[in-house]
Amino acid sequence: MAISVDPPDVSRDLSKKAGYTFTILSDPNAEVIRRYDLLHVGGGPDGHDISRPAEFLVDSSRVVHWANFTEDVRVRARADEMLAAAKNLH
Amino acid sequence: MGEKRRNWAMWSGFLLALGAVLCNIILFVNLPGRHAVPWVSLLLALIALILVVRGLLLVFGQPRIYRGKVLTSIMSLVSLLLVGATIFIFFNARALPASASAPQVGQKVPEFTLADTSGQPVSLDQLFAAGANDLQASPPRAVLLIFYRGYW
Repeated sequence: MAISVDPPDVSRDLSKKAGYTFTILSDPNAEVIRRYDLLHVGGGPDGHDISRPAEFLVDSSRVVHWANFTEDVRVRARADEMLAAAKNLH
Repeated sequence: MGEKRRNWAMWSGFLLALGAVLCNIILFVNLPGRHAVPWVSLLLALIALILVVRGLLLVFGQPRIYRGKVLTSIMSLVSLLLVGATIFIFFNARALPASASAPQVGQKVPEFTLADTSGQPVSLDQLFAAGANDLQASPPRAVLLIFYRGYW
């Protein structure tokens, strides 16, 4: 599931254009982003507060099995890395 | 008449400065080993800077051998702008919060309920509960939460 501060209509357009099938959630006031300590103050255009990039693989007990916090916004997670982490889950 | 030589330092400085900026495009392709590319861009920028200075010293210090003060000055300015852009982008892209309290491996993530693209509320715990609507599908064993910057 992808989470950002983008409102649902923006995410809907993005999802439609890119043909995504996964769930995209909206956190417009960055409440959940804050709870996860991922808030990037003024990181967005016009100085908006956004989320820093981060990925978590969580099991049904909400326990983290794999987490990725990039140090550089240009260095993004790769699908094969995330899938490998998911495969290691037992 | 003294021999004329090509200002190799100016040209190679320019090419490396260009290479440094183009590293950003390489990062966009998202290949394995990409973690090193930001540092490669910084290294190229640094070497480019040295070469640009060298090129300027050649054309202004040995004007009989290295010709083209105007061209060299313009090329050097462009190179310096490319070097500056590389350095600026580098520090900008890495200016991220520490996120020291973010959930780590072995910890539990906070529960949440957020709206999906249709405006329907989605809860993490509900997702893991046995699918009430779908008789065939079993609940997921795991969920991948991808927090992204947005504004795409």
